[in-house]
Amino acid sequence: MVAGMPLTYPIAEQTLDNGLRVVVSSDRAVPIVAVNLWYDVGSRHEPPGLTGFAHLFEHLMFQGSRNVASGQHFSLLETAGASLNASTFFDRTNYFESLPSGGLDLALWLEADRMGYLLDAVNQENLDNQRDVVKEEKRQSYDNRPYGDSYERLVRLAFPEGHPYAHMTIGSMADLDAASLEDVHAFFRKYYGPNNAVLTIVGDVSEDDAFDAAKRYFGHLPAIPTPPPAPDGTIGPMTDVQRDDVESDVPSDLITMMFRLPVDGTPELDAAGLALDILAAGQSGRLNRRLVRDEQIAQSVSGGALPLIGGVSFGTLTGIASDGIDLQKVEDALLEEIEKLATEGVSSEELATVQAQAERDWLEQLATCAGRADEISHHALLFGDANRINNRIDQVKAVTVEQVQAAASKWVRAAGRVQVSYRRQESAASTAGEQE
Amino acid sequence: MSQVLTTPPAVGAPRPWKFPEAVTTRTSVGAPVHVFDRPGQYVATVRVTIAMPLIAEPRELEGVATIMSRTLDEGTELHSANEFAAALERHGAAYGVDVSSDALHVEISVPVSHLAPAVALLAEAITRPAFNQADVGRHVTIRLGEINQERANAGYRAREAFASHLFDSATRRSRPTAGTPDTIRPLTNVEVADFYRRNIGPERAEILFAGDATGVDAAAIIDEAFAGWTSGAGPVGETPEPIYLPGNRVVLVNRPGSVQSQLLIGCAGPDRRDPGWGSAAVANHVVGGTITSRVDTVLREEKGYTYGTRTSFAAPRKGGTFSLGGAVRTEVTGAAIGDALRILREARDGLTEQEVQEAKDSLIRTAPLRYEQADSVAQQVGSNIANGVPIDFADTYLSQIAATTAAEATDAYRRYVGTNGLLVVIVGEAKDVRPQLEGLDLGDLIDLG
Repeated sequence: MVAGMPLTYPIAEQTLDNGLRVVVSSDRAVPIVAVNLWYDVGSRHEPPGLTGFAHLFEHLMFQGSRNVASGQHFSLLETAGASLNASTFFDRTNYFESLPSGGLDLALWLEADRMGYLLDAVNQENLDNQRDVVKEEKRQSYDNRPYGDSYERLVRLAFPEGHPYAHMTIGSMADLDAASLEDVHAFFRKYYGPNNAVLTIVGDVSEDDAFDAAKRYFGHLPAIPTPPPAPDGTIGPMTDVQRDDVESDVPSDLITMMFRLPVDGTPELDAAGLALDILAAGQSGRLNRRLVRDEQIAQSVSGGALPLIGGVSFGTLTGIASDGIDLQKVEDALLEEIEKLATEGVSSEELATVQAQAERDWLEQLATCAGRADEISHHALLFGDANRINNRIDQVKAVTVEQVQAAASKWVRAAGRVQVSYRRQESAASTAGEQE
Repeated sequence: MSQVLTTPPAVGAPRPWKFPEAVTTRTSVGAPVHVFDRPGQYVATVRVTIAMPLIAEPRELEGVATIMSRTLDEGTELHSANEFAAALERHGAAYGVDVSSDALHVEISVPVSHLAPAVALLAEAITRPAFNQADVGRHVTIRLGEINQERANAGYRAREAFASHLFDSATRRSRPTAGTPDTIRPLTNVEVADFYRRNIGPERAEILFAGDATGVDAAAIIDEAFAGWTSGAGPVGETPEPIYLPGNRVVLVNRPGSVQSQLLIGCAGPDRRDPGWGSAAVANHVVGGTITSRVDTVLREEKGYTYGTRTSFAAPRKGGTFSLGGAVRTEVTGAAIGDALRILREARDGLTEQEVQEAKDSLIRTAPLRYEQADSVAQQVGSNIANGVPIDFADTYLSQIAATTAAEATDAYRRYVGTNGLLVVIVGEAKDVRPQLEGLDLGDLIDLG
């Protein structure tokens, strides 16, 4: 590939009679095929009282369906040589497997059986079991690690109550506890159907064979009534400062700031994301140079944009204070750099650097059939245009220094932010390093 | 419309697969260069693997290898630290180092279109580091902060306690690779530069390229970039065989406020010199290598104790380990350990033909997925070099697996797991866990509460 040339991954698309959008990208260089389904349901669709449902569902989808026994989804695919999993996020839920191409029919059959007939297998027993597993997931990923609740705290401050992004995907354990089997069945009937999903097939199969297989296994599934859209989350930049100051048994003092950002799919969001990268990405980012290398007030800095489709996105900046340094110094330096970028802008060299990094990230994301399938599903489902994967780098590279400054001065400001800080408890701090 | 299928469709035979082949040359300074041309892989990895056994570190300066490795790119004879990072990142490159028991790996990943200037910078970091005291001192401070973070991390604490109680203190692996506060604090640029001079040189290095080499002479680019590399490094020291501590025992590490107990249960295991290495992997897959394995079928899917556990056989160059790791909620810690030990011990009675066949199919058929990306080829080959096996060892491993019978898988497992006892490490709320351990017959309790 020559630098600057557009990517040319082939994209073919058909919509089945039941509304299932099927996208195929043939690649005969490898003996494998990736199957990827994005359902248009994520935590932003969850009404109050049912938070965590989209994610709980992801777990139940592995518990069997009409023609598949519990555990069989995994065992059949693993024996066929598959790597498989699923994930739930604010905007969507996805299910995916990659495997030697001789297993394509098996993968599609399994996905179709649970898309159409999951409820035959969802009972009180596996609901209770997977609810327990999800609680352990929450303990492991959030509760049992330092700063593990920071995003939960931040989105609660950054978005008004009831806003689709005001709660995390893991949801409330109280809501999960209150869930009845009937709630779970109703959620499935509302969102899981062919006309609320994109199926992507990438790899060692011809376009014709892939479409035929998709029709063979999914064609008979009935469409569901059009699901209600997620509540509109459109909201502008923050106009005030809100803080959540936590004292706890953390290893080092840490601060994370969160900003609302423009909605995904816009040059303005790309520009805001690049602004955060100029601050926080890599070793040459402004924050690393100043806070970590030159002033040595921080052990590390990080940050970036998290693109979202529901009317608004968000981005974060994080600094971990060096031992013995007041966290306020880190906060002050972050705010100074934020304001400096918003008022003085960025150099073309800085912008070119983060654009080059974004290009590498994107090429790596597309370097496997699985990664390509995921991005195709993503762009087909959320933007209605799978071919965006071939243009994505050009969009990012088209952003100008003026656009970066304009986006930053509107969205990434000291006066419009939320932040969570964690400070060591005095008693804990004085004995740190002397345990055991 | 066709009839709805109520049974799984047949799976077609997979196309034959072999680990990608390299074209191997040698640079003018003597280091072998292995070029893996991977069409369509537009981001290339260039990885330099340098034999650097950690036994070369003085006991009182352990971690010097890590600090040396982390400061290679913090200023060179030609660029300041900030200039170096800016130049590398401007080419879209990402740079990283990794220190293992046996080797240092330094690598970049970069779009192939920017290969030559990025490789020149990689070579500059490896061959002409400046080791200014300001940069070394900063990394010592950062490492001390990192140790604080590690101590707060339940998984890390479990691995640390596991190593220190599985290996005799005469074995380097009983202690953290990256050093402890006592051994890190004394380090200055003098010790770091000295360690570099004694241990880093072309005669210890192998260089890998993996990526789309269409129209690119990767070997020539690498040769030119490393042309001036000279060194006074001595011969590579031979790491002694590790000394394992035997017996059933349990180590309880108090981590107040924990809502889960982090478990790590294990013992000695084989390394790649053992012809049963592949058979052990098959056994591992059956016992705890996947969500459908014996352990998680009970701990996760039946009982809901955990988000998931996994077992593995892992090994550097000499002497491996077997371990089962995962987190369970505090109230069921004793019950979960009891179940886990029962399952690990029962597996010694035999793995079934069907289990073994399914594990073999899974391990063999997933190979093309594992090495689809250029970077994963470079990772695997670098690790093979570090472990002292041929660069195409993946093929050997897969043929060992293909030849494994149920009896051989069981035998490979029995030779290690439960034979000389099992070490159980628990990191959690000790006051809640301690009463749950009574009656479990775990051996001696080492209570760090």
